[in-house]
Amino acid sequence: MATDPKEEKRIPSSNESKVFRDKLLAEIPNLRVFAISLAYSRQNADDLVQDTLLKAWSHAASFAEGTNMKAWLFTILRNTYYSLYRKRGREVQDTDGMYSERVAVPASQDGVIDLADFRIALAKLPADQREVLIMVGATGLSYEETAAICNVAIGTVKSRVNRARTKLSELLSINGVDDIGHDKKIVSTVNTNRHVSPLT
Amino acid sequence: MGEAKKDMFNNESDEVKLDSNDREIELSPKIQDAIGRSLIAHYNDIVSSPIPDKFLLLLAELEAKEEKHGN
Repeated sequence: MATDPKEEKRIPSSNESKVFRDKLLAEIPNLRVFAISLAYSRQNADDLVQDTLLKAWSHAASFAEGTNMKAWLFTILRNTYYSLYRKRGREVQDTDGMYSERVAVPASQDGVIDLADFRIALAKLPADQREVLIMVGATGLSYEETAAICNVAIGTVKSRVNRARTKLSELLSINGVDDIGHDKKIVSTVNTNRHVSPLT
Repeated sequence: MGEAKKDMFNNESDEVKLDSNDREIELSPKIQDAIGRSLIAHYNDIVSSPIPDKFLLLLAELEAKEEKHGN
């Protein structure tokens, strides 16, 4: 490799691009999970992922080797989303279309919350709570990494995760431990159609 | 990384009133576990769906451009 490690501006060799491409590829599934938590429909989410990949590629030189690629990409994706969102003038999105795709295979039933019901409840969380819950609880980022991505204190992330969990348990009617698995009760609670602004 | 590094969305407004985690209700481990498993199920469902071809094409194009450009 001809690149001087001390040099500020890296000149990408073709091997470096391949390595970078492979790293991006490996993170696409995680990016989709995060994008869906922000952008409602899978179509919008995939557009967001596409924009993120393009930005990541053009800013490849600013990615510090040895740091967390996932956290770096999530930061780009999140900033892309919020800058777009602001340009559109903070329109209020309704939750009816969110996660509207029903899953083909239902989650296994043994005391487990139905996945489709869970997603409807997830859609009703305030956006700031939903994004941290997904980052910490699904994509496996640490509280520290999540705090850095959202540009807030770690305590704020923990607080939002707690609030998200509490709110979910209310929405899914699983406050009482025995309620888990009582489908009728879960469905009736979840079906109240409330429009929630994702930015409240 | 310029624009990407800067947080475009200002979260400051809700900082102060949100930091009250000490007083928040602790959910039972069983409920936390149920929610945790649902999050993983949600994650696995999305992750297991195939990566759309457009992403693979996009990356291949970007890489091809780079090779033409550089070495």
